[in-house]
Amino acid sequence: MNARQLDPVDIAIAWDRLISITDEGAAALVRTSFSTLVREGYDLSVMLFDLKARMIAQSAKCIPVFIGTAPVTIAHMLAKYPPETLSPGDIIVSNDPVIGTGHMFDIAVMMPIFRQGRIVAYAMSITHLPDIGGMGFSAAATEIYHEGLRLPIWKLFAAGRRDENLVELIRMNVRVPEQVLGDVMANVSCVEVVSRQLLEFMDEAGFASLRPLADAIIGQTESAVRAAIAAIPDATYENEVDVEAFDESRRLVCRIEKRNDTLAIDFSGTGPCVKAGINVPLPYTKSMALYALKCVTTPKLPNNDGATAPISVHAPEGCILNAVPPAPSAGRHAIGHFVFPLILGAFERVIPERLAAPSGFINILTMQGRHADGRPMAATYFAAGGFGALCDLDGKATTPGSSNMGSTPVEIFEPLSGLVVERKALRPDSGGAGEFRGGPGQEVVLRNDTGNAMAVFSMANRTQFPARGMAGGQPGALREHLVNDRPIPTQGRYELAPGDRLILREAGGGGFGPPERRSKDKVRDDIARGFVASERA
Amino acid sequence: MLRTCAVSRHSHQVRQVADGTAGTLRLGIDIGGTFTDFALVNRDGARVAVHKQLTTPHDPAEAVLEGTRAILAAADLSLVDVAEIVHGTTLVTNALIERRGGRTGMLVTRGFRDLFDIGKEQRYDLFDLRLQYAEPIVPRRMREEVSERLRHDGSVMEPLDEQSVRDAVTRLVEIEKVDALAVCYLHAYANDAHEIRTREIVRALHPELYVSTSADIFPFMREYDRWMTTCANAYAQPLVDSYLSRLDDGLKDLGFSGSFWVIGSSGGLMPPEVARRYPVRLLESGPAAGVLMSARFGRELKQENILSFDLGGTTAKGALVRHGEPLRKYTFEAAHVYEYRSGSGLELQIPVIDMTEIGAGGGSLVWLDELGRMRVGPKSAGAEPGPVCYARGGTNATLTDANLVLGYLDADFFLGGRMKLDAAAAATAIRTGIGTTLGLEAARAAWGIHDIANENIARAFRMHATERGFDYRSCGMIAFGGGGPIHAARIARKLKIPLVIFPAGAGVMSAFGMLSGAQSFEVMRAFPRALDGLSEQEFSRALEAVEEEASSFLLASGVPSAAVRKNRRVDMRYRGQGYEIEVPLPDDLTSAERLKALPGLFAERYRQVFRAELGEALEVVSLKIAAMGPAPQSFTTGMKPAAGVDTALKGHRPAYFPSRRGLVDCPVYARERLVPGATIEGPALIEEAESTCLLDSGDRARVDEHYNLIGEIGVGS
Repeated sequence: MNARQLDPVDIAIAWDRLISITDEGAAALVRTSFSTLVREGYDLSVMLFDLKARMIAQSAKCIPVFIGTAPVTIAHMLAKYPPETLSPGDIIVSNDPVIGTGHMFDIAVMMPIFRQGRIVAYAMSITHLPDIGGMGFSAAATEIYHEGLRLPIWKLFAAGRRDENLVELIRMNVRVPEQVLGDVMANVSCVEVVSRQLLEFMDEAGFASLRPLADAIIGQTESAVRAAIAAIPDATYENEVDVEAFDESRRLVCRIEKRNDTLAIDFSGTGPCVKAGINVPLPYTKSMALYALKCVTTPKLPNNDGATAPISVHAPEGCILNAVPPAPSAGRHAIGHFVFPLILGAFERVIPERLAAPSGFINILTMQGRHADGRPMAATYFAAGGFGALCDLDGKATTPGSSNMGSTPVEIFEPLSGLVVERKALRPDSGGAGEFRGGPGQEVVLRNDTGNAMAVFSMANRTQFPARGMAGGQPGALREHLVNDRPIPTQGRYELAPGDRLILREAGGGGFGPPERRSKDKVRDDIARGFVASERA
Repeated sequence: MLRTCAVSRHSHQVRQVADGTAGTLRLGIDIGGTFTDFALVNRDGARVAVHKQLTTPHDPAEAVLEGTRAILAAADLSLVDVAEIVHGTTLVTNALIERRGGRTGMLVTRGFRDLFDIGKEQRYDLFDLRLQYAEPIVPRRMREEVSERLRHDGSVMEPLDEQSVRDAVTRLVEIEKVDALAVCYLHAYANDAHEIRTREIVRALHPELYVSTSADIFPFMREYDRWMTTCANAYAQPLVDSYLSRLDDGLKDLGFSGSFWVIGSSGGLMPPEVARRYPVRLLESGPAAGVLMSARFGRELKQENILSFDLGGTTAKGALVRHGEPLRKYTFEAAHVYEYRSGSGLELQIPVIDMTEIGAGGGSLVWLDELGRMRVGPKSAGAEPGPVCYARGGTNATLTDANLVLGYLDADFFLGGRMKLDAAAAATAIRTGIGTTLGLEAARAAWGIHDIANENIARAFRMHATERGFDYRSCGMIAFGGGGPIHAARIARKLKIPLVIFPAGAGVMSAFGMLSGAQSFEVMRAFPRALDGLSEQEFSRALEAVEEEASSFLLASGVPSAAVRKNRRVDMRYRGQGYEIEVPLPDDLTSAERLKALPGLFAERYRQVFRAELGEALEVVSLKIAAMGPAPQSFTTGMKPAAGVDTALKGHRPAYFPSRRGLVDCPVYARERLVPGATIEGPALIEEAESTCLLDSGDRARVDEHYNLIGEIGVGS
């Protein structure tokens, strides 16, 4: 097939096939994983890279953090182990947050794919592990060294032989070794599935190399993104937001230079890191920025490195959006999620029709304690705030923005945690008013029925700085945590006594357009749907 | 539980058949989007007649009754000669799509009225900020909270407040005028006492209300899914009840006194009384019947593993048959509201034949995406206006137009010549719509459309099979539906499937499938237990309870207890995982052996699916029992050729075969003239009135003794 030029039909078919190969890898991961974050929340990604380590296909289901971190990871892996030194059966791993996804829970597993003795592509799988030692999934650490096992870039398999020393090292450093190693091996199966499928496809299509296809995929995507960028007027766009950072607050600043068909994003002016695990390593910041721009420019196209080529991202080292060790980062999402609305907000005046107002974000809590029968208990709970409104669409209630974890059903969560969910209801009047209303958040009441004290680790945001409205829309309500009807701090550790009720009030999304333009009929409908409590909106 | 409530009328019907007061014929009726199909077979297992009738969407019963009259009249028969009618319908699917169900109220555990508005708290597309979600079936003002609460182990945390039930129902009936009610309480799968008591209270107050309780409809953990399914069931009840009554009356008026069955989503036959009670189990009932037929062909042809491939007017459907049995699952998403996207519909928990369905049918529209890449489907031209070549006002090229331009369809022999196609208009639409933009001539563009559809279908099937650990490369494909036989050989080639079976009667295969279903009912119960703490006695007792429940309905409809077969499956996983795999229990194990066998059976299945073994502790999640009546008598779907025709070759026409570098003068055969033992080498087209088989260069087919065409793919290349 390489003898002749690939025509549009060939490309469309082969392109989709590469994506479906990564989707097949993802399906196997979800079904074998031990981590609720993987299977309920799809905290995973599977990717294919070409010989130049350009990402050419990515599984459709994943969360935004993986949009741009993997190319950084693979570049470092190949710098340490250059392609010419690799053999069939090598599998390289790393969970280093600085070159990865920003926290050590995520392990990247990479395998070079050999065909007739030569590398034709690379497969990579990343998942959130159930544990990595240290202080658990919380912001409790003050240095990265408290956060658990940091693996260097290392060969888990060399020419098909597993490095049992590395396995032993992991086993001795985590709380639930069987589950962690089970998940590591699920990633290994995944890259093997991807590799086998790719080789089958190349045989079938008669491709000796992926280069012409990769060039076409990257080239077409890049030109579509460039065309979308070119349609935005040349200018410097700026925005800033304030975020809560434990006992302090931080200002995030972005400045976007738009010239012709390129964008240069600079986060200079952003405040410094804090001594809590909410600092954001640069790859995560970059991912969120690229993700935001993809939503704005070419939301319907599959993601690959072509989408990122016209865009550069800079943040000064040491600022809270470019954390370096020893700054801890386990809960980097608490700050990192703000990058998305920060970027979108910069374009408010020029392309409002392509934006969404900021959302109320997702709340992530970790609970540790003992069940009534004495068994140890550890659980993670997600509760979404409201989504921001668009220029012609209300924000969806209780739908995550910036990230995309799903919720755990009450009937699954109760036996898992020993908590009783007394109530899970819409939170009226929490969505920002507007011609198009922001999505309302929710109120969840959790009662500690274990008979034992229970520690709750919270990394909540939107507790001081609401989701702003756009184009005259009102902000959403703030997030609040209460115990037995008394407010408690929203970032840090809190102990629930037996019988205590933890009340979570989730933040609303911002509205779009002036509220007085909303029709009476729609307001009546809002009341009937429980979005608004009274005619006051 | 009241599963056996009203099946006595049916056992009366069975006796009538036995007495010989009714006839001996069996009639299968499948309502599809465009056509309602009929298939008639006799007691000797011979095909008597087939028929296609335009569907009447305003009242589907009309086409059913009209077509029933027509097929019998043409064969010089009457309904008195018919012993049994098996029926499949899209009524429930359409009611959910068009929101034409009953006025439905909901009673729900206090604190959880807003669950449907809160949703699953996840976006189904990461980049698209404009996502839309299906509206809840029951509007919020028609949901009322009731004071009661159970724990996850079924124990009572707060007793049912009966007065709160009465107050809620009174308001829903008097103010909201509901005619159906869904009762949805937390943890009801573990204990249904509060739901049952609520139903009693409602019955006493308002005996005319249709009531569905969540533990009865689908006793499954995960409240959002269970409640959604319960609401859908209540919503469909008034509609299905009145439809089945109209049909029943109409058939009686025509003189029918035999037994009447409705086929469910899982392929099991239900008497009308059960269908009225569980109408949500009628979703996808027609396509399920086609898969049953594939399974039957597979068994007869000694092909244990089958990929069943059905291509109709709007979609292509694939299903897997392993060791002669269709794979099943327990989730089905209906009524998508945003670009046919998975996640934008109503996710319902019902036992269904596990099918993958993609928007690639004859009517699928061709378009260019924002990169200028050619796309086929999922939007469809439907029956109105239909493909351009139907000359009924369509202007946008479709897959059928491409197949016509490529020479695979004969403009003068569509539906046996009953419908003339406009080939020139099809070519123009492809040239102007796509070809010019891409700089491709009509034939090359049409090939692109055909091949993209094949690739989309192959990809969906590959995904579907891989997720289920099914090695499609060694299975056989069975191709049917109006368009399946044109695409099958090439899709098989992409999937490395060596064998494609083109059954006789492929165009009305689902109607035939109705007649190969057995009576059956499936019950699933949550049974979360760590395997190491589970006693043999507890396990056996739990299995027996579910078995008893599943068989009770068959026994009540007159199936002798000795004839009831039971299929036992256990959902298991490594402790800590969130998804389970289904472990079938072999029939030959004694109840004492079953528990001991579980670890070995699980390890074997897990290795097959994920090529790994972890050595972790195991847990049981749920028990599933399907109780089945005896399989109906077998029949053939082919017809003996009329005597006196010595050649099946009808002639030649130009058709596009890239394997032969473009247009070739392709031989065309008449399917009804092929005799057993005949062989055909590709490239070739084999036509019958309802469908056309395509063999590519290198493929070879022979006709078996039942007039099925057995294609070997790529043997000559």
